[in-house]
Amino acid sequence: MTTAPVGKQVLLQRLDGLRQIPTIPAVLAPLLKYLQQPVEQLDVKKVTDLLSQDKSLAAQCLQMANSPLFGRWHKVESLHGAVVSLGFHRVSDIAMSCGVLNMLPGGKTSLDPVIFWEHSLGCALVCRHLARKINLADPEKAYLAGLLHDLGIIVNLWVLPQEFRTAYDIAKAEEIPLHEAEQKSLGFTHCDSGRLLAESWGLAPDLIEVVTFHHFPEKSSQDGGLVALVHIADLLCRMSGLNYGYDEARQVDLFEDEGFAVLAQSCTSVRDFDWARLTFELDSYLEEVHSLVRAVYRT
Amino acid sequence: MRVHPARVLLHGDHRSLLRQRPERLRVTSAPSLHPVASPTGPPEPDLVRIRDLIYEVAGIFHPDSKLSLLRDRCGRRMKELKMKTLREYLECLTLGPVRQTELIALLNDIAIGETCFFRNQQQLDALRHIVLPNILRVKSQLPQRRLRIWSAGCSTGEEPYTLRMLLLDQAHALLKDWSIEILATDLNERSLAHAKEAVYGNYSTRNLTAANRSKYFLPQGDLLQVRPAARSNISFSRLNLSDDARMTFMKGMDAIFCCNVLIYFDLVSKRRVIQHFFNNLLPHGYLFLGRSESLYGVSEDFRLVHLPGATAYVKAERSLTGVNTI
Repeated sequence: MTTAPVGKQVLLQRLDGLRQIPTIPAVLAPLLKYLQQPVEQLDVKKVTDLLSQDKSLAAQCLQMANSPLFGRWHKVESLHGAVVSLGFHRVSDIAMSCGVLNMLPGGKTSLDPVIFWEHSLGCALVCRHLARKINLADPEKAYLAGLLHDLGIIVNLWVLPQEFRTAYDIAKAEEIPLHEAEQKSLGFTHCDSGRLLAESWGLAPDLIEVVTFHHFPEKSSQDGGLVALVHIADLLCRMSGLNYGYDEARQVDLFEDEGFAVLAQSCTSVRDFDWARLTFELDSYLEEVHSLVRAVYRT
Repeated sequence: MRVHPARVLLHGDHRSLLRQRPERLRVTSAPSLHPVASPTGPPEPDLVRIRDLIYEVAGIFHPDSKLSLLRDRCGRRMKELKMKTLREYLECLTLGPVRQTELIALLNDIAIGETCFFRNQQQLDALRHIVLPNILRVKSQLPQRRLRIWSAGCSTGEEPYTLRMLLLDQAHALLKDWSIEILATDLNERSLAHAKEAVYGNYSTRNLTAANRSKYFLPQGDLLQVRPAARSNISFSRLNLSDDARMTFMKGMDAIFCCNVLIYFDLVSKRRVIQHFFNNLLPHGYLFLGRSESLYGVSEDFRLVHLPGATAYVKAERSLTGVNTI
């Protein structure tokens, strides 16, 4: 059955009329603001006090802090211990990651929140890793960009659950990229809806660019390096077990990809980069991400 | 071109002398109880160095999630060499007088257990769902409906038989009216004899689904023999991949599978083999290596492509249509 695309106008109307617009958990805004200060001015107690205000978030953060994915190999028992051993920014990454999970609607959704979160977290980790390897962007910024790139999917799950289900079902049945199915059945993609939310939250301009253009990095108006980096990491995750719950039936040649050309403009070394090794390294994230996400989701 | 400094040189011609039949090797491959096999905490720096050395020299990568496996394999070798620490073993691999033979012995241990039917399901799925349709699309414009696949380094035959089974499943669908030819080559006569006999034990057949087991195998006591249908259209022959003269005769391939074979070759020999593969592959052809095996630093003639859950190599010169999808 085909239905007429709902279009961006309908999306805007529904977003306006929605009482429960997904918001960043109350704790995170002051935390992120506080962490913008120079590190030497930061106080461990202040950070743990801020995080402790949200007990559930604090428990999730502690669980994540104990994962090897965040560099912790020995058990940390407290938020204080986590901040001391992992550092302010790593804890901020963790808190933000849990925040994204908590933004997902409850109940039965088309795209399983666990799968969505695995993809976002996996993409964030690959972005951080890649940024470090090719020395392109600040690894923490790259992590945040990877984590938030699909904000629009959260919007779609909240605002247009039925219509998004149709788009998701088409993507899954036809084994095509989700944004292509959205364009076909909704008339817009999660890039458009993500931009609305990112702007209403007042995210930094480069993060808004990532949310808006991660599927079309060549359209990015600013320096497209970060956008292209997220685009490539997203692509690699979707071609691995960190996809949206289905395999896209296609062959990806990174070197022919438009995003790759944008990335190469910012960083020429990507042409010599060992993409095979990165792909194999991504494999090692799979199990960790799967088990971590399931553990945190139950917390 | 970026090149790995190959610190240890291995020669393809020697590898088969050290390679034993997987069924036989399995007897010695019980989990090691050596003290090094207790992976807790961050990866040991010396183990990471051994991992990087193996990737640099052999092109096979152990991601962090597989380091415990590598640790176990090193442990087994250390036990035999009566070495106590990974540092000692690393030195043996890089500085010791027997480093070349020891590296081959370790690579043999790493490759153990790799051989079985339907070994790499994601690679096979990608072949079935993406690669075959791509190849057929190009070839259907040609008069001859023939598909030629080469299993280079087929060992005891599990790989070519698996490919045959996968293609047989499509005989009345995707491959209707297509003729199939699978060439399976190996250096080792004993492996080839086993392959032709087509009788396998539990270890090789561990990944078989019940459906494939009954469809393609006949029980023979405790063992299983591949049914004649799945043995058809496969020709086994002895071939040394370093034999330049004979390699030039393997022309017209649509796909080449060469899994965990190049790991035994030094950089120069590897490049020569890859050049032959390049010449032998048709323009639309695909080269498949083993899981976590890479051509980085070896060849710029081939380009890495990503398939769902798998990677493959295509000719770099070939033009692709669309953004990045064919």
